[in-house]
This record gives sequence, structure tokens and C-alpha cells, in this order.
Amino acid sequence: MIGLRFGLMTLLLAVLALTGLPVAAQTPGAGPHIRMELIPETSRPAPGQEVTLAFASVPEEGWHGYWQNPGDAGIPTAASWTLPDGVTAGDLRFPVPERLMIAGIMNYVYEGPYALLATLRVPENAAPGMRLPVAVKLDYLVCTLEFCVPESAELATELTVGDGAVPGDRRARFDEWRAALPRPLGAQGSYQVNGDAFRLEIPYPADAEAEDPYFFPITDGAIDYSAPQMVARDGDRLVIETGARGAPGAIEGVLAIDEHRGFVLTAGPGNVAPAPAGAAAGGERPFAWQTALLAFLGAVLGGLILNIMPCVFPILSLKALSLAKANAGEGNPRREALAYAAGVILVCLVLGGVLLGLRAAGASAGWGFQLMDPRVILLLLLLVVAIALNLAGLFEVAAPGFVNRAATHGTGSSFATGALAAFVATPCTGPFMGAALGAALVLPWAAALAVFGGLGLGIALPFLLLGFVPALRRRLPKPGPWMGTLRRILSIPMFLTALALAWVLGRQAGVDGMTLGLSAALLAALALWWVGRRQQRGARRQWAPALPLLLLSLAAVAVVRPAPVEAEQALASGAEPFSEERLEELQREGRPVFAYFTADWCLTCKVNEKTVIETQGVRDALAAADVAVLVGDWTDGDPVLGRFIERHNRAGVPLYLWYAPGADEAHVLPQLLTQAMLRDLAARDAAS
Amino acid sequence: MTKWSWAAAAAVAVAGATVAAPAAEPEIGAAATNFRAYDMNGEVVELRDFRGKTVVLEWNNPGCPFVQKHYNSGNMQRTQRAATQQGAVWLTINSGAPGLQGHMNGEQAQAFVEGANAAPTHYLLDPNGVIGRGYDARTTPQMVIIDGEGRVRYNGAIDDKPTSNVADIEGARNHVVEALSEMRDGRPVSIAETRPYGCSVKYAS
Repeated sequence: MIGLRFGLMTLLLAVLALTGLPVAAQTPGAGPHIRMELIPETSRPAPGQEVTLAFASVPEEGWHGYWQNPGDAGIPTAASWTLPDGVTAGDLRFPVPERLMIAGIMNYVYEGPYALLATLRVPENAAPGMRLPVAVKLDYLVCTLEFCVPESAELATELTVGDGAVPGDRRARFDEWRAALPRPLGAQGSYQVNGDAFRLEIPYPADAEAEDPYFFPITDGAIDYSAPQMVARDGDRLVIETGARGAPGAIEGVLAIDEHRGFVLTAGPGNVAPAPAGAAAGGERPFAWQTALLAFLGAVLGGLILNIMPCVFPILSLKALSLAKANAGEGNPRREALAYAAGVILVCLVLGGVLLGLRAAGASAGWGFQLMDPRVILLLLLLVVAIALNLAGLFEVAAPGFVNRAATHGTGSSFATGALAAFVATPCTGPFMGAALGAALVLPWAAALAVFGGLGLGIALPFLLLGFVPALRRRLPKPGPWMGTLRRILSIPMFLTALALAWVLGRQAGVDGMTLGLSAALLAALALWWVGRRQQRGARRQWAPALPLLLLSLAAVAVVRPAPVEAEQALASGAEPFSEERLEELQREGRPVFAYFTADWCLTCKVNEKTVIETQGVRDALAAADVAVLVGDWTDGDPVLGRFIERHNRAGVPLYLWYAPGADEAHVLPQLLTQAMLRDLAARDAAS
Repeated sequence: MTKWSWAAAAAVAVAGATVAAPAAEPEIGAAATNFRAYDMNGEVVELRDFRGKTVVLEWNNPGCPFVQKHYNSGNMQRTQRAATQQGAVWLTINSGAPGLQGHMNGEQAQAFVEGANAAPTHYLLDPNGVIGRGYDARTTPQMVIIDGEGRVRYNGAIDDKPTSNVADIEGARNHVVEALSEMRDGRPVSIAETRPYGCSVKYAS
């Protein structure tokens, strides 16, 4: 994204320079270019309490402020405080920055509104009602692409020692600002310098998301800021390679995983194995036409392969048979092939368009997104069962009049077959399509649509060939009774597809959902069987009596719902989700409580859970001592949990708290648990 | 189609910028890259010609507030005179591209040097950023000291107070003055590398 914007800016400047327009003739106007406001989270902090202050900052359009490490040029913001006796201020805390490359010089900046946070500590002996005047002078740099202006802001607020109550609206704003701060990763990285190459390894679970990872160093002098960063994911580690500057000992920095989220960590020198080739993911993604072309070709190839997948092949074979018929004199093979291709490509483009629309709307969607909804799965299941029964010869599809009229030209039915093939093919887009579609998600929309179009083209390619090359068509076997046999054989992979869809449905909607889906499929099968019987007898209005049954089975589509999430994420040993209310309740009951806080991106947490907390021995010990287990999941940075964690341990997750019966204060356990530690605690508190 | 050609052109521009990316930062003790440039009087100046003398490189952009801090206070001029009086050569280099802040032609540079009462041996014009990128100069001011054998002995900021506040000059450690005095005494430069501070060099994109 940045690369693209930079490129366009470059072009714009070049054009302006050529046309002789005065690009930089204007001078920066007077007045602050960053509007800044000092806001305390509470105006009535309690004695001994910490109060967070925010510097809510809004840069003027086209201007940017700097992160704590400004990058190749620029100055970090400095604060000088004037505080009452006994009040102390902590360091400024900065939200995850953005990258801004100007003429090969890397800047770490904020181009939109942002907030720096600082924490004041009110002394224990402060008397309620005492006034605490707080004044601060911030020196910072603010720049456009051409100018820099050092500015100062003198801000003041007055706090009164009180009860520490936080107004609700203020809490919400501060929660938002806190969410933009990088969270402590809770694990150490390591780095290695080989000449000019710098390789950093960060423990990061394989299944945790990282959209566009980038390492923002806080420590200066370690890496070349303007060098591109190559990011690879290799199991439970993230490997970043970039240019080295020096080896200053431990390096502190922020690993950003997308535009707004990141983790603070430190890395010490050590041996870092390179990531295996081909593991590259995310990181620098300069848009280039080669990328788009590669993605397009990959999509065409993928579409081609899809033709032999069990869910598509039977439909295609039917079409091939009809072309073979066309060979015998009926229809127009070229037009049929084109209509089929148009149907396939159109559906692919529509699906792609919907996906891009969702992407624009900020939804996290992937290819096959329509398959995450059990209703769509059930619809597909019914469709596939119907197709399989049709192939098996249970009933025949007599298209309505208008379709028949279109089908006499061959084009209408070909178009419909194509559309059907493309829609049904989506569950089959396996890992081999991942790369091309992943690229489509990061490419500009026009290129992304081209990739989806390429996918359709790939699916349609064999038929275009058959339609346009008579020699190929002549090699197709002559129509005959063997077609009926083949058709019945082809129903087998279709039934297998139905089986796979039923499994997916079961995963998504649980046993109840799967039963509902199979019942609907059974109902539909009975209805279609009835239709088939009537067709054999040559009855009039063959479909009429079966239609209500079919509609009833379709109604199941509206009813099926995803299984409740809790059912999937079964917690260990009867654990419950953490809440402070539940904790107090359990404490009142006099039960020992083990509360642990974890997150998907926290590798130490996962290791502790797998090797200690979720082992049978520990589970038995906890159960025997009647220990209540509370789990706080901080993956999404829930601010309520965040405040609780901050009160107990500023370093974030993992956090392990043990509340002995009757004890008010938690015993904070080390971040590396052992089974013996938990068993001993359980045994002790059970005995007491 | 226009959209595509724009995107393609942008991609080419990005690729071009990457290819033209600066050479590695000059390492302390490494041989300094030779260069040749016009100075503000139209004279051709070549680094190699100063073999045997200590050379100070100063990146300049008169529009940059951090440069103004050191010129308006007279600090930069004092440092220049102290260096040249010891026999050092002082090359002030302007790598700003035409149209961007701080770019000057020869006449404008003469007016600036005269107006600021500056004392560089030469004021060099580097509108294409060749010298700047060759030395990986990133900010104005940025200072590089090359010894008589043509080796880089210092690279970084002018002093240790990275602000634009004139009041901070007093009490700051002037890295250039200290390095020159250590070199004169035949001692190693104690602080040979610092983080340069100031505005980014306004290179042509």
C-alpha cells in the first residue's frame, strides 16, 4: 500500500515538475499543525492510584507526527512535566505507527488522529480534595512531504484527589486509545547479524493471524530502516530479514501485525536459522504487474485443475456429452462453449466482487467465505444431492418452457451449466489456489477481479478447446448407451461431495445441524424419487405433488444456525470464562481459584496450556482440590481484561493468578509454569 | 486502461526508487567514496584533491528548522571557522532536489553563505543527490569527517541535543569539534558514530 502511494506521489511530483507548477512554493502556515488536547482518564484520582493522561492529537491534512523512533529522520516527541510534589509521570506510550517512505528515506509516523498516553502516580498520602495542577510541555516535530516544523505544546489540567471514578464516555475513549498501543508479546525474540544482513526471529504461534507483519525497532542503530523487510512464517516463529546497521545488544521494538495492532518485544543476539524457502508471507508487498500476471496465470491453472475435482467433473462430463451430441449434428459447439465459459466467468466475477466488497467493508473474508455460513452449505448439500440423484437416473430435469426455448439454441443451458459448475467448484478450491487468491486479496481491485476472471477462464478452458477445435471433438466417442452408464458412474463422486458437505455442515452447525441437513436431504430425495416415478408413468404435472416437500426441505436452510462457539472451544477441566464478578463469587464460596490469561498470539501461553494446564495430571489435581479455573482470553485485547491484567502485572499475558481460599490478594505465578507447581498449590489449598 | 497504465507506471517508479536506493552507510574506518561536484561559484571540486587534509562534510538545507538552529545561533559558523583554522577542509553540501525545500542554485547559495556569514571551504551543489545517497546522508544537518588518509572517522549529528531549540546549543557536546580535536591529538575518535537529527534530506524521488 505504502509502496503504491509512494509511487503515485512520485509520479505526481514528476508531472508537476514537468509542467512547471510550483510544488513547494507555498510555505507552511502559522499555528500548530497538530491539534493537541490533554485529557485525564479521571479528574478525581484516588490516593496511591495511577491516572492515565492522553495527548489526543490530530495532524492537519497532509502533515504527520512522529513515533518514538522517528526512523531515518525526524525527532521523537519529548515531554517535560511540571508536577506537584510527590506526583510522578511515566514515559510516553505510543500507538503502533505507520510507515511513510519519502524519496528512499523511511519515516515512522502518524498521518491520522492518534493519542500518546502517559501515566501519573498520585502519592499515597495525598489528602482527598487536594488540588493537583499538572502542566506539561511537549516538543515534537510535524512534517509534510516537503517541510518540517518543530512545534511545542504547553498543556495543563487540574486533578483533584478524590475517589478515582472514571466517567463512562471517557473510559470508552481511553479503551480505544489503549487498544492502539502495542501489547507486550510476553516472549523474547532473538536476532543475528551476518555482514549487512539482519535476521530476527519472533516466537509467534503458527495459527495466530498476522496480516502484514513489520518490525518497528525502538532501539536505534540496529537495522536499516529504509531496507525492505522480508517476513516469513515458519511454524511457531516469524522470521524477518532486512538490512543491518549495527549490533547494539538487546533490541526493543514493535511487531506490527496489521495497520493498528502490534506487540512490544525485546530481542537479544543469538543464532537464528533462516526460514525455509517459500515460507515468505506478508511483509513487503510492492504491487507490480508481474505479481498480478502471476496471480492471473496461477488462477487459470487452478481453474484448470478444478475441472478434475469430484464436485465439478460430473457436471463437466455432462456438458462434454452434449458437445459430443453436437458433434453428431445438433447445436452449435462454439456458441455452447462460449456460453458455458461466460456462465463460469460471470459467477466467478460475481463471487469475487462480493468478496472485494466485503474486503472494502472491512470484513475479514477469504475465498470460500460463502462456505462459512452453514445455510450456504446446506443449500449446496441439497443441490449436490439433487444433482447426484439426477445423474443416478432417479428423475429427469425437464426445464421450463423459456429455458427449453433457450436450450434449443444450446446457449441458455450451457450458460446455466457453467454458472452451476463455478458455484459448485468453490468448495474444491484447495490449498493450490491459496496463493493466487491470497494475492487477489491484496491486489488493487481491478487486478483482483482479473484473478477471479482467470479462475473462471481456467474452469472453462477445456470446453472452449472442445468447442473450437473440431479435431478434439471428433476424438470424443460417439453417443450411445454407454453415456447412460457413465452418467450413473459419475453420480458416485457427486454423492461423495454430498458426504463431504454433510461433514462440513456438522463441523459448523454441530450434530443437530447435520441431522437437520441430512433430514432435509432425505426429504428432497423422497420428493425427487416421487417425481421420477411420476415421470416413468408419464403422469401430467409430474412435479406438482413433490414441490411442497422440496420447499419444506429448502426451509431447513433458513433454520440451520452455526453451533454456539462455546461448544467448539471446550475449555480445559471445566474452566469458565474469566470475569471479576465470577472471581468474587468463587472467593466468597471459599474455593481456591486458578485464573489464567492467554491469547492466541502468545506462544508461551500455548506452551504452558499444552504441557502443564491441560495435562491429565494437573486436571486431576485441580479437580481433586475443587479448584475453580477461570480463563481470560485476551486475543482481541478486551479492555476490561486489559485493565485487570494491568493491575496485576504490567507485562501482559501470560498471567497466572492463584487465589488461596480466603485470601484477598492473588499469588502471581511465574510465566513458566510447571506441573509440580500447580499440583503442589492444589494439594496445599485442598488441605488447608 | 488508464488506471492500469497508472498502476504500471507507479510500479515502475517504485522499482526505480529501489534500484537507486542509497549505498550502504559509510562505515567508520572505511575508505570514503570519492566524488566530484560543482560548487556555488561553478568551480569543480573533487574530494580526492584534499588527500592529506582532514575534510568535514556538512549536509545543508537552509529551510530546515534544525539547520536554522545552528546557523541562526552562529554555532555552525563557529564550528566551520574552528575547523578551517586547524587546516581542515569544510564542504557544505546541498542535496536538495529542484522544487523541494532548501534547493538552491549557485547564486542563491552565494547569497545564503554571505547572509549567514558562513565559512565553508566550498558550498557544493548536489541537486541529483548523488553525493548524498553515496554517503547515505539522511538528515540536515548531518556531519561526516574524513581524515587525511581518506578514511571516515565520524558520521552523525553535530551535537548531542537533538532539538530545534537554540537554547540547547549551550551545554551540548559538539561531536565535530570533539572529534577534530581528538584527531589532531592523534587519539581515536571517542564518539565516532551518532544518530543524525534534523529534517530528512529532500532528495529527488
